Amino acid sequence: MRPYANPYLAGVGLGLVLLAAFVLAGQGLGASGAFAEVASATVKAVAPKAGGNAWFESYLSGGAPWSAWIVLELTGVILGGALSAVLAGRFRLQVARGPSLGVTPRLLMAAAGGVVMGVGAVLARGCTSGQALTGGALLSVGSWAFMIAVFAGGYATAPLLRRLWS
Amino acid sequence: MNEQMILAGLIGMAFGWSLERAGLGDAEKLAGQFYLRDFTVVKVMFTAILTAMLGLFWLGRLGVIDLAAIYVPQTWLLPQIAGGLIFGFGFVLSGLCPGTSCVAAATGRGDGLAAVAGLFMGVLGTGLAWPWIAGFADSTARGAFTLAELTGLPYGVVVAAITVLGIAAFVGLERFERRA
Amino acid sequence: MTLTRRLGFGALGLGLAAAFAGSPYRDRRGQIDLGRAVQAIDEGSDHVTALELAAWIRDRKPGLRVIDVRSPAEFAADAIPTAENIPLDRLMRTPFQPHEVVVLYSEGGAHAGQAWVLLRALGVFNASFIAGGLADWRDEVMSPMLAPGASAEDKQVFDQAADLSRYFGGQPALNDPAHPAACPAPGIATANIRRRGC
Repeated sequence: MRPYANPYLAGVGLGLVLLAAFVLAGQGLGASGAFAEVASATVKAVAPKAGGNAWFESYLSGGAPWSAWIVLELTGVILGGALSAVLAGRFRLQVARGPSLGVTPRLLMAAAGGVVMGVGAVLARGCTSGQALTGGALLSVGSWAFMIAVFAGGYATAPLLRRLWS
Repeated sequence: MNEQMILAGLIGMAFGWSLERAGLGDAEKLAGQFYLRDFTVVKVMFTAILTAMLGLFWLGRLGVIDLAAIYVPQTWLLPQIAGGLIFGFGFVLSGLCPGTSCVAAATGRGDGLAAVAGLFMGVLGTGLAWPWIAGFADSTARGAFTLAELTGLPYGVVVAAITVLGIAAFVGLERFERRA
Repeated sequence: MTLTRRLGFGALGLGLAAAFAGSPYRDRRGQIDLGRAVQAIDEGSDHVTALELAAWIRDRKPGLRVIDVRSPAEFAADAIPTAENIPLDRLMRTPFQPHEVVVLYSEGGAHAGQAWVLLRALGVFNASFIAGGLADWRDEVMSPMLAPGASAEDKQVFDQAADLSRYFGGQPALNDPAHPAACPAPGIATANIRRRGC
């Protein structure tokens, strides 16, 4: 298993990927948007009446989710991440968790954290990829506000969640 | 399957690759940021932002790209601050974010999969609740709004300021880490 | 010097230089293709009628975005259903996707027409506006009227308008002299003309 890359070099690499996205596709990276696309399509297929609000409409009006740019991009993320891990000998079935946390509690916390992030991402119209990275590079005021708020929210609640990670 | 779609996939692969190389698929590493143990998150994130920001400025200045044609995420100030605080809490709870949870899941981590499932539920639920939250969620809208427009400073000056602050922060961080 | 340090100095150099480099934007912003705009106006593709919009809303036309460019206070008082309130200054910073069908409206139509031109200067060509504004909506959709002596064709048009009207909770009227907006107009089908009172 090879060690991880120098974070600054990795950051430059990531920044160049982001730049390539801007230059070649006219838009930046994203992740939570793909979840929104799939969620909208799911609601339309399963319970269309429940999904008749402006938020779902804004994703459905662009066509099928598998043709959405961000969904294809996130699919690529999965493939690229897997490939990198396999080639570096880092692919391993495991549950990454704090030293004093069991597997099941960890999985529940991960899912709970996901739910909470989902709420935050819908309100903020994005996540660390779409808002912090992309919007940050474009100097968007809301994106920088979001980014600062994420760190504030994280540092503020970290002491309460210490047991999860130490 | 047209070229834009293939491009999206390729860019995504490069994104996922970079995240995994940096170790950001590891929840303990990510959470370590919030316990001041592991600063990989800020180093990678801000270096990436600086790189792309400088790249955008200079490619625009040199006429290689049309900066105005690039889609700037719109600002909804209060909802984004609120969303950020909530997101931060979820981040520490799970140790992952949407992009990195996909990378984690893709590299065999069960916690990544759990986070992905949770994210889907959270996004879906909030979407269903949209009619009740739209009043707040649509408030303080500013459209595409940059720091340059906010401060009235030239774009390049804002870029310079962020670069100087960022580099200074990194230098300070390195010193802090060496002492710890 | 390590690679990281070199990158750091490089970034610092590029960053500081940016402060003196001028604007990164091309000067093209704000230029409008006059010929193309005039053509759109001449052929009428710049605007839609309130009835057309009503049908689009009822039929849930994909990608439809109804934009109210008035102030939030006016929007709160009365608005077209499904409309988003985006005042002019924010409208100029709002990105639109090519597949969207953007319909702008204001109280009487003037501001919406101006917004149409301004958006074209920003490269948005998939927008149109309601020429008579919200006033048209109130007349044509909320209270369409059929005058006496109207032809069968006019009656057909009126029936369709009346259907749409009822969908939106409007009140189509059939030549009711007691109706506040009633005007004696022999031989003229009011389903076709915009009413401004007598």
